[in-house]
Amino acid sequence: MVAHDTGPGAAAVTAESVRRTYHLAEPVHAVDGVSLSLGEGSFTAVMGPSGSGKSTLMNLVGCLDTPDEGRLEVGGRSVGELSDTERARLRGTEIGFVFQTFNLMPRLTAIENVRLPMVFHDGVGADRQERARSLLERVGLGDRLEHEPSELSGGQRQRVALARALANEPTLVLADEPTGNLDTETEAEIMELLVDLNEAGATILLVTHERAVAEYADHVVHLLDGEIASLEHLSGARDVTAREKATEGAGNRRSTGEGEA
Amino acid sequence: MNLRESLRISWRSIRAHKLRSALTTLGVIIGIAAVITFMVLGGGFSEDVVGDIEAEQEPAMTVQTQTTPEDGFGVMLVETPIYTESDVDALEQREGVEYVAPQGSLDVVQAESDGEQLTGVVDAQATTADRFEHATFVDGGPFDGADEAVVNEQAGQAFEENVSAGDELELTFEDGETTSVTVAGVAESEIGEQTPPQVFVPADEHYTTTVETPDGDEERAYPTLQIGAEGLDDVDPVQETAVDYLEDDSHAAELKADDDEIAVQTVEDAIEQFDDLVGQLTVFIGAVAGIALVVGSIGIANIMIVSVTERTREIGVMKAVGATKRDIMQLFLVESVVLGAIGAVVGVAAGLGFGYLGVWLLGWPMVYPLEWVAIAVAVGIGVGVVSGLYPAWRGARVDPIEALRHE
Repeated sequence: MVAHDTGPGAAAVTAESVRRTYHLAEPVHAVDGVSLSLGEGSFTAVMGPSGSGKSTLMNLVGCLDTPDEGRLEVGGRSVGELSDTERARLRGTEIGFVFQTFNLMPRLTAIENVRLPMVFHDGVGADRQERARSLLERVGLGDRLEHEPSELSGGQRQRVALARALANEPTLVLADEPTGNLDTETEAEIMELLVDLNEAGATILLVTHERAVAEYADHVVHLLDGEIASLEHLSGARDVTAREKATEGAGNRRSTGEGEA
Repeated sequence: MNLRESLRISWRSIRAHKLRSALTTLGVIIGIAAVITFMVLGGGFSEDVVGDIEAEQEPAMTVQTQTTPEDGFGVMLVETPIYTESDVDALEQREGVEYVAPQGSLDVVQAESDGEQLTGVVDAQATTADRFEHATFVDGGPFDGADEAVVNEQAGQAFEENVSAGDELELTFEDGETTSVTVAGVAESEIGEQTPPQVFVPADEHYTTTVETPDGDEERAYPTLQIGAEGLDDVDPVQETAVDYLEDDSHAAELKADDDEIAVQTVEDAIEQFDDLVGQLTVFIGAVAGIALVVGSIGIANIMIVSVTERTREIGVMKAVGATKRDIMQLFLVESVVLGAIGAVVGVAAGLGFGYLGVWLLGWPMVYPLEWVAIAVAVGIGVGVVSGLYPAWRGARVDPIEALRHE
């Protein structure tokens, strides 16, 4: 019920009372009235137990899903009002995904994988090949350009995925358990890389259930039963703020929230 | 998303499953190869038979008897001798008729030239010199006497020492009798290279088949007549006159069997009839090929659906990095069109190869059915589009959230 004001600077993502309901045997509010604002250049981790709504929040912020209620803005555009194709374009231009299972295209080389978002987004007509090469060099894979994913180690694959996420200079990099399939040493490398990217200006939203991983971020959002349980600032300097709005609706929603996972 | 990029990605996917892709396109390859092969063979056959005829138009027509077999289609020639000497004379009196040359087979079993004997190979025909009115002679000319003969090129070349004008030929009949003739000329074959070796001798001296006419007389009768018109303009009226006479007033009309029909065909009619037959065959082959192509496109559609299912996760990834439904549709459509086009190109190449082999073995001229090649490629691409539409649509509407969870 505590309202947090948005910090200085423009917000990359703004969520206002966002709610997503799945109609199973009974309605389940996977995300239940979340209000959150991610400032540009911030590094935020989302933590919570299984079924707390991390994935659904991720899908919503990633424009793969649309909110049933509330308003969600990504890159200044309201996600709920966009058509399917417009959301696809928005994903291509404003968001870079990094997945736990890397999700590289198996038959494309590293550099082709990095080029893929540029290929789907014809707007970046500039030299795709050159840009893809420089992105791979940035993540330390300048000598692995023509390797297929099967010829790369887990850590290297995740680096390719990171380079791909940055292909269209997105507003936000969404990392869903990016180190879940990696050993501790590689985990540290990838996290350092994320921190580097963040320090170079990228906005990062990281989903994890490991405290150690979350601590690379500046802020940690704790989710429980689809709601923001608390917002923790690891270093106060960033302009990330979560707001839980004390609205009339919020109270009503809480009273119907028995079916939440 | 531009076409080059989708081609690149589709090509990777096709190459990743080489065997599967090859088997998938096999249906299209077989269908198109079959069409092209038969078109080459049919074209070569037509060219071989009709090619020479079409070049020179003759004011001549052939009278034959035809029957329709009880089972099967098309017509069969009947070799019954029903055209009597009286019919020949009557026809010759008609306006516009230049000559009427009767023709009938002789039962010659063996021909001998310069000590070399050919048994059962040479076909002997009795006719009149008029028959060669429009013939082209490579050597000599028409016969002009009881003991002279004309041979066609095939007969001339059948002997080791080529027969030419002035050579002696000895013909042995079935009953053992022999007769000796001098070759007066070697005539060019009228119909293609497939004509059997033939020897023509004067009917008056050598032809003995007779029938009892409706008037009660014994008269010589022939199974075939050739009618020559005075000029090209007379061909149609003469044909009409001949049909009228033969069907109503002639001995032939009375002598023929009930089911038989008298056919008066100009060279043009013969070509037309032949073209009809080739046309029917074309439709038949087209239908067979059509079935093969339907089977082929079901194969492509099937594999594309499998491919969409297998690549659900990839579709999810592509959607996550910004692919629209249209992009995904384009990717899968390009893939199935590439499969169809490969099928078409390989099919055309295989078809031309088999066709070439066929005409080479049969000694026909090679014909490149260019319009069919174009049709085949268009059909191959069309098959790709049609069979790719549904799988591509399925791929496009994959939910990215589900797809990313897909194992």
